[in-house]
Amino acid sequence: MAISLDLITGILSFLFTLLIFSYLIGDNPLFRIAVYIFVGVSSGYIAAIAWWQVIYPRLIYPLVFGSMLEKSFMLVPLIGAVLIFMKISPRLAGMARIAMAFIVGVGAAVTIFGAVAGTLIPQVMGSIEPFDLFAANLRNISPVESLFNGSIILAGTIFTLTYFHFGARPKADGSLHRMGLIELSAWVGRIFIGITLGAVFAGVYAAALTAFIERIMSLINFIGNFL
Amino acid sequence: MRVFTAVIAIAAGILVLGGYFLPALADVQTLLLNWAVILAGTAALVGIFNLVSVHSDKIRRQEKGSGYSILLLISLVVTFLFAMILRPDHEAMDIILNGVIIPIEAALMGLLTVSLLYAAIRLLRRRADFMSLVFLVTAALLILGSATLPFGNMPVLGTFIRPWITQVLALGGARGILIGVALGTLTTGLRVLFGADRPYGGN
Repeated sequence: MAISLDLITGILSFLFTLLIFSYLIGDNPLFRIAVYIFVGVSSGYIAAIAWWQVIYPRLIYPLVFGSMLEKSFMLVPLIGAVLIFMKISPRLAGMARIAMAFIVGVGAAVTIFGAVAGTLIPQVMGSIEPFDLFAANLRNISPVESLFNGSIILAGTIFTLTYFHFGARPKADGSLHRMGLIELSAWVGRIFIGITLGAVFAGVYAAALTAFIERIMSLINFIGNFL
Repeated sequence: MRVFTAVIAIAAGILVLGGYFLPALADVQTLLLNWAVILAGTAALVGIFNLVSVHSDKIRRQEKGSGYSILLLISLVVTFLFAMILRPDHEAMDIILNGVIIPIEAALMGLLTVSLLYAAIRLLRRRADFMSLVFLVTAALLILGSATLPFGNMPVLGTFIRPWITQVLALGGARGILIGVALGTLTTGLRVLFGADRPYGGN
């Protein structure tokens, strides 16, 4: 049984990899077939995951098998779920706003905390850290090197942030211009952004190349198994 | 209705945000987050139902490309039925995951190798200015610097230039972008909590 499952998996994997790679000769029906099947299979899988890992254990199970207190707590999301399902009918879609407002409110709160605790504070602390010479000594980094690198990182951060400053004052001829100093800082910021995006591009390219090589190797191995 | 939805969004948001700072609100926060997860799961199901209805309409009207829609619906229904009957963690469901979803995702990712190279060449041909050059030279240096030679890392490029670019120059820019994105996210979230923005349809 296990061998046959592996064989089916291998054949499907081989077939779909070939169909996707057919895009290298241009957009064609084979590629589209693979993409549409991918969307269908993924959607069906996600729907089942949403049911078995979210709705059933968190809503249905407590409603059916839970205590009275648990059942009463689950009435609110049950009503919310019914309201969301009303989105299916164009006439009743407006009722879903109540549940959507709840999701948006909770999402906004989680996002605010995530932005502050997950990005702002760690990034600010990261900018301060190279200037802590005691910590640099502990990590066996020369204080001069730490200060030099820290200054460049801090300058890059400030110049990049300046690039996104779009405040401008009107001139006598009515045109809008940023202050000279901000304009200059923004220009340097563009260089830092260019370098960062170049680094991101290199990272994505390396990941794509790894995936490409892995797929080519899987095709070769699959054919090799039958030779 | 407008005021009611705004009150729900603001109250839910404040209670959840308060739960991070006030231990007394931690239980309420957990409860509200659990409700939000359930509603998000339901919204995902409604989204998939919408996908089904859009493609069903396409098939009914016999629009161009409706053959692909038939394939999509068949694969969706078959996968959903199997996953509902067997459950997603069943051994047989691995066929769908390892035979269809992961290979297609990896192959699409692999296709990026060609698309990104093509995009880089087009950028050089269409907009060969200083910033494009900075972008492409950085990318080229980092890709070359990460190449492993039989005797180890590439001298200077792999051992000094590449780490310095990624850990100093690119870090400065990335930090600026991240802080900018976080400030933007913070502002957007606060606007929702103050009721200035109502993306749930409350105007």
